[in-house]
Amino acid sequence: MIGVETVSVFVLSVVELFQPSEFIGVLVDALSKASLYIMIAAGLTIIFGLIGVVNFAHGSMTMLGAYLGGFLVTVVSPGGLLSVAAFFVAAAGIFVVLTVAGGAMEKALIKPIYDRSPIYHILLTLGVAFVLDELIEIGATLYGISLISPWRAPLDAIPGVLDSTYTVAGASFRGLDIFEIGIGVVAVGVIWYFINRTRYGLYIRACTEDSEMAEALGVDVPRTFTLVFGVGVGLAGVAGLLLTWDLTGLMGQGGGATIFLSTSVLLPAFVVVIVGGLGSFEGTVLAGLLVGAVDALTTWLFVNEVVGFSALPEISLFVILILVLAVRPRGILGSQEVTLD
Amino acid sequence: MDLPDEEGGDDEGRLSSFAGTAGIYLSDHAVHLAVIALLGLYPGIHHIVTGAVSASGYVLPPVDLMVTVFYFGLFAMSFDFISGYTGYLSLGHAAFYGIGAYTVLMVANGLVPYIPADTWFVASIVLAGLVSMGFAVVIGAVSFRLRGFYFAMITLGFTQVMYVFVSRWRYPVAEGSDPSFGISANPEVPGFEIGIPFVDLVSLEFSDSMLAIGRIRGDTVSSLFGTGIELSASSVSYYVIGAVVLLCYFAMQRVIHSPFGRVMVAVRENEERARAVGYNVFAYKIAAFSISAFFAAVAGGLFAGYRRAVSPDETFFFMTSADAILSTVIGGFGTLAGPLYGRTLQEVVENFLAEAPLVPGVLEGHDVLILGVLFVVFVLYFFTGLVGAVRSRVGGKVAEVVGERIRNYFANL
Repeated sequence: MIGVETVSVFVLSVVELFQPSEFIGVLVDALSKASLYIMIAAGLTIIFGLIGVVNFAHGSMTMLGAYLGGFLVTVVSPGGLLSVAAFFVAAAGIFVVLTVAGGAMEKALIKPIYDRSPIYHILLTLGVAFVLDELIEIGATLYGISLISPWRAPLDAIPGVLDSTYTVAGASFRGLDIFEIGIGVVAVGVIWYFINRTRYGLYIRACTEDSEMAEALGVDVPRTFTLVFGVGVGLAGVAGLLLTWDLTGLMGQGGGATIFLSTSVLLPAFVVVIVGGLGSFEGTVLAGLLVGAVDALTTWLFVNEVVGFSALPEISLFVILILVLAVRPRGILGSQEVTLD
Repeated sequence: MDLPDEEGGDDEGRLSSFAGTAGIYLSDHAVHLAVIALLGLYPGIHHIVTGAVSASGYVLPPVDLMVTVFYFGLFAMSFDFISGYTGYLSLGHAAFYGIGAYTVLMVANGLVPYIPADTWFVASIVLAGLVSMGFAVVIGAVSFRLRGFYFAMITLGFTQVMYVFVSRWRYPVAEGSDPSFGISANPEVPGFEIGIPFVDLVSLEFSDSMLAIGRIRGDTVSSLFGTGIELSASSVSYYVIGAVVLLCYFAMQRVIHSPFGRVMVAVRENEERARAVGYNVFAYKIAAFSISAFFAAVAGGLFAGYRRAVSPDETFFFMTSADAILSTVIGGFGTLAGPLYGRTLQEVVENFLAEAPLVPGVLEGHDVLILGVLFVVFVLYFFTGLVGAVRSRVGGKVAEVVGERIRNYFANL
């Protein structure tokens, strides 16, 4: 039972949390994690928002992005500060490659089953996930890359600027955290601009609203679908690349490029998308911030020995999922009535 | 082992004698009998054929791989029971498999309060099933408010919470070992026996030394029913586990062909209409879910008894559910026996990749790659899997077509 001592320890630690040094540390951690959560969920939510397909292969595509991207970073990295530029080159490469691959997958596999029940979508993409995971594992084995522990090569390519720890106002954080926050902000900005301010974004919103009407007005709907699926997969790939550099990972699971990446990414991505509301990009951003904050706080509670349960971040993530589904299944900003399919 | 139909058809009036009824029953179940006979003879067939032609070992998996087909096939069947027949995709089914496995081992290690460690294995399997049913009622009461993708995700959420919890749960693991590696039966726990309590007559070996049909692992039989046929340890496991799985199959088959099962299918086909007709679909769904959870836990119990050690990754992790989905879709979604065939195919491929020459070594252990491609093809073109493919070839349910042919044959004599 909870004794007086436990409560007082808890209260003291909460007071401690609001000291500037601790607070800034947790805040930076929360924002950098939120960036990762938003990155892994963005592709999933865009695809669902337009096409209504739940992509269970999303985690595997993130893992593909991690391995291909890690390879690119290792190859092009010149060392030093220029490695940051190498990261962006690799990110662009991955985005292009996976967008094309995603578009091809949509044309070949997803298109025939659009009008079937969601169960088919789940099963089909799950099947693609099975195949992709195995192919990546076989590929990594052939190249002699370790499967269980994080792949070293891309980690060694992290430039010193990002790898070192900085201290501001008593709070210490890694350069990588700031880098991740930057990537997250830029990605959110670009995606928001793409959806709300470009011609293709207009097509996408039109198709989401009423695809038949959009078609009647001359929008090439099948092509828009293919493009959106491709972009969603491309975003997953970039998220994967970002994760190869992040050893802390999500939910305290440990990061880096491993063959567990696909499953350890898929579930949090689903949680963020559902909590935000399926298909709402703004909702996904809000949910990413929320989940990132919960992850950072629960991690802090464990690290500071307020709670002795190491799985707290992970378990709270799924508790959030269950609570949201049980109480408000359409999520923060989702508009669809979901209880009746 | 396809599903025979309950309505005997127009033959029933004509053949009203006892022999006629028995004939209809037998002809309806001809496919069942054939499959059971084939599976029953498999260890012998495998022994003889691989003894004669050693290359056949590339195609015929060894008997201990076939044991996996039984317990995992039962788990996949229980998944199919809820998902294939009511249309609700339970991604959290691994939880019930895990509850079964953990309950059985915890009972055997004496870790469950009020339950003695020497409880019969059959009793602890039933207990595991009941515990699992309790969880299913609670999870179902929350989850069945949702449909489609949302139902799949909330069940997934529940199983992941349990998975994370069990991976860190110190209570059932031995002192100093990591809970995420799982639990194992204490060395002093004797072999888990399958049998009927208080009945010592049914035993693979006619001797009074054994109370049960046989131990789930490690028993050998020197003379089967006094005929002098020897059974290896893996053959005994095969028969003992197979017997339980067969019993569970017929129990589930019985439920599906009952009026209750018809309502399950009605929920899948048109839930609104089923509700409008007056069925309390919510209660039906929860009942079907808990029946399914019972058999999933039995499968988990058999798995734990056979392996004597289980880890959270093999039981509670959601990819275990995904494995069951793989077997189910390949064998036939919405056909009760399909998952068993799907798992059989998987073991055949796994064995082939490991044994056959000319297969690149890197492919060993990657049977899911080949099965995954097949899975995608089946989802796109053949949603009822292998069983569906055979059905569309013979033009109807296999058991019905075969039964019909047999009856016609005897009628024309």
